[in-house]
Amino acid sequence: MRSNLLRISFLLFICTPLAWAAGADSVDTHEYRLSNGLKLIVREDHRAPTVAHMVWYRAGSMDEVNGRTGVAHVLEHMMFKGTKKVKSGEFSRLVAAVGGRENAFTSRDYTAYFQQVEKSKLDEVIQLEADRMSNLNFDDAEFSKEIQVVMEERRLRTEDNPSSLLNEAMMATAYMSSPYRHPVIGWMNDLQNMKATDARDWYRSWYAPNNATVVISGDVDPKQVLRTVEKYYGTVDAHELPVRKPQIEPPQKGIKQVQVKAPADSAQLTMAWKVPKLEPGKLDDVEPYALELLTAVLDGYDNARLNRILVKQEKVVNDVGVGYDMISRGPELFLISTTMAKGKTVAQAQVSIRKALEELKQKGILESELKRIKVRILSDQIYKRDSIFGQAMEIGSTEMAGFSWKDIDYMLEKMQTITPEQVQAVAKKYLIDEGLTIAVLDPQVRQSDANKESK
Amino acid sequence: MHALRNTIGICLLSFSVFNSAFAILPIEKLDSYNGAQAYLVQTKTLPMVDIEVSIDAGDRYDPVGKSGLADMTAALMNYGVRGSEGPINEAQIADEIADLGANIGLSVSGERATLRIRSLSRKDLRDRAVRLAAAMLSAPTYDSKIVEREKQRTVTNLLEAETKPEFVLERRFKKSVYGNNPLANTPSTKSVAAVNAVDLKQFHKQFYRGDRMIVSIVGDVDRAQANEIVRALLQKIPESGPAIAKLPELQRSPVEPLAQREVQIPFDSQQAHIAMGMTAVTRSNPDYFPLLVGNYILGGGGFVSRLMAEVREKRGLAYSVFSYFAPGKDTGIFQAGLQTKNDQAVLALEVMSSTIAQFIADGPTPAELVAAKSNLMNGYPLRIDNNRKLLDNISSIAWNDLPLDTMDIWTKQVEAVTLEQVTKAFQKYLAMDRMQIVVLGASK
Repeated sequence: MRSNLLRISFLLFICTPLAWAAGADSVDTHEYRLSNGLKLIVREDHRAPTVAHMVWYRAGSMDEVNGRTGVAHVLEHMMFKGTKKVKSGEFSRLVAAVGGRENAFTSRDYTAYFQQVEKSKLDEVIQLEADRMSNLNFDDAEFSKEIQVVMEERRLRTEDNPSSLLNEAMMATAYMSSPYRHPVIGWMNDLQNMKATDARDWYRSWYAPNNATVVISGDVDPKQVLRTVEKYYGTVDAHELPVRKPQIEPPQKGIKQVQVKAPADSAQLTMAWKVPKLEPGKLDDVEPYALELLTAVLDGYDNARLNRILVKQEKVVNDVGVGYDMISRGPELFLISTTMAKGKTVAQAQVSIRKALEELKQKGILESELKRIKVRILSDQIYKRDSIFGQAMEIGSTEMAGFSWKDIDYMLEKMQTITPEQVQAVAKKYLIDEGLTIAVLDPQVRQSDANKESK
Repeated sequence: MHALRNTIGICLLSFSVFNSAFAILPIEKLDSYNGAQAYLVQTKTLPMVDIEVSIDAGDRYDPVGKSGLADMTAALMNYGVRGSEGPINEAQIADEIADLGANIGLSVSGERATLRIRSLSRKDLRDRAVRLAAAMLSAPTYDSKIVEREKQRTVTNLLEAETKPEFVLERRFKKSVYGNNPLANTPSTKSVAAVNAVDLKQFHKQFYRGDRMIVSIVGDVDRAQANEIVRALLQKIPESGPAIAKLPELQRSPVEPLAQREVQIPFDSQQAHIAMGMTAVTRSNPDYFPLLVGNYILGGGGFVSRLMAEVREKRGLAYSVFSYFAPGKDTGIFQAGLQTKNDQAVLALEVMSSTIAQFIADGPTPAELVAAKSNLMNGYPLRIDNNRKLLDNISSIAWNDLPLDTMDIWTKQVEAVTLEQVTKAFQKYLAMDRMQIVVLGASK
């Protein structure tokens, strides 16, 4: 009885929100291109008198070369170390003085910097950010202190974190030639041997208006923003960017396996399959959408397949997570990551995962499972508008992957058209051993323990 | 297509998150119901609503030997309930939440348990989300098979956590700083194993009642609809129950010789993790603002704090270094911390200690005070510029018994803080010879 009720109201729901997701963003989003090649995207959102200002450089760890891994991220740190006009540390002090929040982040695909401020302070942060696009000027002493900070960051996030070590080993195993095989933070030995000139070279190569997208969201007048952006970013000269080699990963020809021993209590298992991503200009390609939906069918809510079967019914794993991102500059993996339940082995978990996937490949998925996922995607379109920062993030990361913010609505509409058969088809086609990498964390006992504390 | 454009078009003319540039939306006190207080902020730009129920049922009420009971009482509410039309199992609950496009989250802190709903505001969807949450709050079943499964998962997670430096440090620091207060006790594999379904039912019955609940609502609902939501949520909740014994007050961290206050935990991680702190103030303490402003200067202000300058910028000793006050309703602590490679632990602790000691002794400079106030005041709109942040604010105001105009007068209170107040407040509440210190790592 309960399920009947659900189905009826379900239909009511699915009809109207379809309209919600589409069209809303294009009305209040504006795109401009400066003569130096800088792209500006303004998302108007007048709910509160605040604004998010971000600059995205299309240069991430995938653009690094051997021996200099981590330099994109190191440069991100050095960007706070002064320009010809603004001395080291002053950038953050000036942003703080206007009440701003700021930070930066580096990924495989890009490096981005942001400030959030009350709207009357926007011009000041634009001026500061534009200044460091071309005037960065740090000395060797600043570099040698900051590289120590970056090594501490690597110790914190990776060396003492078994899940990160496992992920690092998995990526380096899955990819032979793609630069995605290197960690964003860089290998420790590369950090130890990095020089200030490596960071400066990186800056001179990639930091240019013709390699940057500025995204501003919040309570702004787009015309006025354009004038300010032209005034400050407009004076920066464009220059030719280094040639990017395609570095396409050769096809995998069979299972790869890697084991990592690190201090932990439970074993972990990650299974990663090589799968396609969405290519710019090919927005009607069904497979990436089907893979996104497959992710959610397996792991999108508490009663999704893998959580239900592996955690609740078979109790073979303690946690399970599924990952895939259909847009990125580099190649994509479809990931299933698990931590073992007490007393269960990696072999048992793998059998259970394979069985669950086999069942899906043979019998397909229910229309109701897919609808549930689609509803979630629709409601998230409303919820995401609660955050202007989140909206700027979505626009920026989409642009960096080679798409336009205008494609976002189209992608969401396309997602709603995918059928259970199409989801089943990508599972059958891609979740196969030829493209599989298996990474296992073999837990080791800590050499010392909390029971031996001393005063 | 048209539905949305119209909704947004009309709403832009009515309430935004702010009324105008600097007027802050009012908090409306709703009808109290079944012993519970309820509050609303109307924001109508987006067709969504956020609802929070705070329950005075935090970790501090865990019985001795059963730490983890409060956590599990809340966490297991979505794993089976008795609805008005019969039992609803965990799969049905999860499916229903997904079908509604809603989120229902449960969490527990030292002081309170929290249930949060995020739903589209359309009446039929919202009603169903509220009805489900109402059943979770009033009639969780705590099926013994599921209790056993979740206990096992919790134990497995704990065993894993015990291999992580940050977890071991935090657990030991809590023990030091909270002393005889129940907040000193954290879940262990043994205490979780001791919890059974009867305990959960009993804890739920004892603490989940109207007079221990506060409802906060932000979003696209009017006053009448909000009152309706509160009634629907709490309809089956008992208004009151037997008196609950008052918890012991948190005793101020005592003056002790360093050897008594400092704990070394051998741990073969690459980095040493260090925590330092002591008891401090509650949120309603009149010195809250001088301490907030002062801590911004000492270790709260992102990249521009003194700790950041001394530990990271000048010496490159750590990636993260911070200090904060965590003021609760009934207790509060001050805590500072960092992580650094093992052979630098002694130096880093020394730099952190002397930076804090100097700040307590001398207070901030006039320029630092101006910069701190300027950041906090100019940045205030960023603390309240969306529904989720507004909900955090209302919920904190209601929980801590703060005046309803707290958001309106916040910047004025920051502005009023003087150099002398900051220095005095730090000297009144903090003292280096009372600081509890935990160092975890391979040194010594």
